Amino acid sequence: MEFKYKILKGIDISGLNFLSPVVRLATGEEPAKQLREIGRFIVVPIIAFLAFLWLWSVVAPKHKTKAGEVPTPAVVWDATGGIWRFHEYETQKDQAYQLTGGTRLDTLGKAKARMAELDALEARAKEQLAAAEASSKEKFDARVAPSKKAYDDAREASKDARRTRTEALKAEAAQLAGATPEQRETFLNHLRDADAAAEAEKKSLDGLKAAYADAQTVTFPETKDARRTVTVLAEERQFLVKYLDMLGDNSREAKVADAKAKAEEARSAFLNAGPDEDLYKLGSTVLKRQELLATTAASQYAKPWTLPKQIVRSLLCVFSGFLLASFIAIPIGILCGLSPTFMAATTPFVALFKPVSPLVWLPIIMIIVGGFMPDPENHWLIVLLGKVPFLGNYKIDPMFLSSAITVALCSLWATLVNTALGVGSVDKDHMNVARVLRLGFWSRLFKIVIPTALPLIFAGLRISLGVGWMVLVAAEILSTSEGIGKFVNDMYTNGSSQSFAQMFVVVFIVGFIGMALDRIMVVFQRLVSFETAGSTL
Amino acid sequence: MSTLDFPPRMSFLTLENVAIGFGPENQRVNVLEDVNLSVRENEFVAVIGFSGAGKSTLVSLLAGLERPTAGKVTMAGEEVVRPGPRRGVMFQSYSLLPWLSVAGNIELAVKQVFPGKSKAEVKEHVERYIEMVHLTPAKDKKPHELSGGMRQRVSLARTLSMQPEVLLLDEPLSALDALTRAVLQDEILQIWEQEKKTVVLITNDVDEAILMADRIIPLTMGPRATLAEAFPVTLERPRDRRTLTDNPDYQHLKTEITSYLVRLNREARAARGGSIIQMPDVAPRDFTPPSKIRGLKWKNTA
Repeated sequence: MEFKYKILKGIDISGLNFLSPVVRLATGEEPAKQLREIGRFIVVPIIAFLAFLWLWSVVAPKHKTKAGEVPTPAVVWDATGGIWRFHEYETQKDQAYQLTGGTRLDTLGKAKARMAELDALEARAKEQLAAAEASSKEKFDARVAPSKKAYDDAREASKDARRTRTEALKAEAAQLAGATPEQRETFLNHLRDADAAAEAEKKSLDGLKAAYADAQTVTFPETKDARRTVTVLAEERQFLVKYLDMLGDNSREAKVADAKAKAEEARSAFLNAGPDEDLYKLGSTVLKRQELLATTAASQYAKPWTLPKQIVRSLLCVFSGFLLASFIAIPIGILCGLSPTFMAATTPFVALFKPVSPLVWLPIIMIIVGGFMPDPENHWLIVLLGKVPFLGNYKIDPMFLSSAITVALCSLWATLVNTALGVGSVDKDHMNVARVLRLGFWSRLFKIVIPTALPLIFAGLRISLGVGWMVLVAAEILSTSEGIGKFVNDMYTNGSSQSFAQMFVVVFIVGFIGMALDRIMVVFQRLVSFETAGSTL
Repeated sequence: MSTLDFPPRMSFLTLENVAIGFGPENQRVNVLEDVNLSVRENEFVAVIGFSGAGKSTLVSLLAGLERPTAGKVTMAGEEVVRPGPRRGVMFQSYSLLPWLSVAGNIELAVKQVFPGKSKAEVKEHVERYIEMVHLTPAKDKKPHELSGGMRQRVSLARTLSMQPEVLLLDEPLSALDALTRAVLQDEILQIWEQEKKTVVLITNDVDEAILMADRIIPLTMGPRATLAEAFPVTLERPRDRRTLTDNPDYQHLKTEITSYLVRLNREARAARGGSIIQMPDVAPRDFTPPSKIRGLKWKNTA
């Protein structure tokens, strides 16, 4: 029982209240009521989401774009797999490059076996695709044939009709030589009628043509599936070729061995050289070869940016900005709350800068940061950050810093205002206690003011983090700083239907991460709330 | 009159011609005016008055939380210019810090008032006072987990832990239910018997005042309230609330004080004269939702 209440309290603190009826049901507490709650807070949302997916899959294919149809949920799910496979392949290649000795040979053997398997799989998939295409071709023809025939027939008929009309009018014109003006007018009317008829025919032809085109757009699920299998297998083959290369001749081990042999060779050539040989040249060759050996030994596979890695970088960026914002906003907010004069001095800045869009801040910040770092590669800060163990892998550059600063500038206001409000709302009775105890300024600040303000400070931080996350993607798109925003931008520029679907994947990833960040902040907020928990959601 | 006639510290805590008012100077209305009070050392004085008379302002003055606009507040011969731990205040609203536990709240006071104490000494000191108010089982609880009576006990323990020379109790029990109030009254009395401190109790409860105090001083109606003639309470201590009500002295005193207060109230109303505001004759609108009962359109049709 004790345990149950601990779980329930945990659920309450984390704000996952929809889970509590499940726990209560599991412990047999008022099953009917719990089932009703589960129905309302779990089943209904799930049904709503399923309805949304259904609506999406029905509506999406109706809209044609330059990048193909708007992807359906199934296509987006498929694209998620594609993104993940790409990441997996690149990670494997990266690892493969660094393998040595027996492990490398083992892996190489396995990869070769898989390649052999793949040949068979691919052959079968291609066969299936051919069969599917053949069968769908018939269906396709059957579907298209009537509209095609209607269109062709109508076109022929219209051609004939026009020819007949033209000939008739020409014949009439030939007889007009001695005609009266009235007769000539009549002829003009005939000409007009013929034009109108041609126009009407053209219109009906267009309609038939559209119907024909529409009939052609049909896709057959079996060909689609077969084609997808072939594509996936082709992707894997492409990967395996590179993978085998990384494990074999192009592995770091092989390269190092090669470089070592060359270095040794140069060295022995230098040491055993006769008096008439150019020792200067041989000596420098030795140094060059040794240097090459060192770089080879330290070399890494040039792994491209995959979405998971970009997500981590985005998170790093948003947290850097968020920390920066907190370091600025909390002290200023405390000062504002303590001193009405300081508050009066700060108000115009808050009012003026709070509504400014990140898209305005970013270019300004980029130029300012650029001014500090004319040669970013060798700037001490970039070099320093590059050496930090984890950060070093994420290419911290001026663009990253600019995005982080933009995030900070856009998100600090919520924290600032909330902190000021929290500090300003200290209970007068608590202040009287402090006066009776003769607490000094710092004791008052840390023992009374800040604890009072903490729940509101965290409410502000929560809003700030949410704003920061929204701002970040925009900032990354604009600054082409590696991250989720860059991924979206790349996909947009790419413009294939596959990349269109991948942008939808990003929507869900960004949403999910934003939700997770918010939940984390809710937990913090509740932990520092001293009155009864559960007041905010 | 030579000073020798008075034992030392005969008037330990005094108010001399004190007045206090709020608002800008040219239109200031004094809340308290011409207040004179002299409390002997270890005396238990109760100030009784109607709400709004300025009782809390009186405590603020005694504590040093407010400065008088005229007159002087002194304690042991020194003028009171700012609040300090020598005059411990127990507020009506408990004023506990909600993010600290019972022990934490008391520890904050102890650490501040006795900076020389070692960690172990502080802990021992805190535990002694928690024990004194019978809260040892709840010492790690947060204020919001406690009942009103328990919270006020924490507040009492915190105030006592500062070992003040004067205890100022600002209606400490008026927010509590009658049963809890009785228990706490007994506890406060018991502690007072043990520790022997100068106490000024602000209250609006005649029974409470008679049960606890040596002297009861009524506060006249505000504005410009002042302290009236004191009623000495000569009932023997320890006083037992069960037998007290049968005591003719008690009954007499209670009648006397009550009728005095009633008279005060009547006089004050008369002084305000006909300026009593006539309340508009309006009936509240009925917002009850339509009835579900068939045939009855509205639940409460007037």
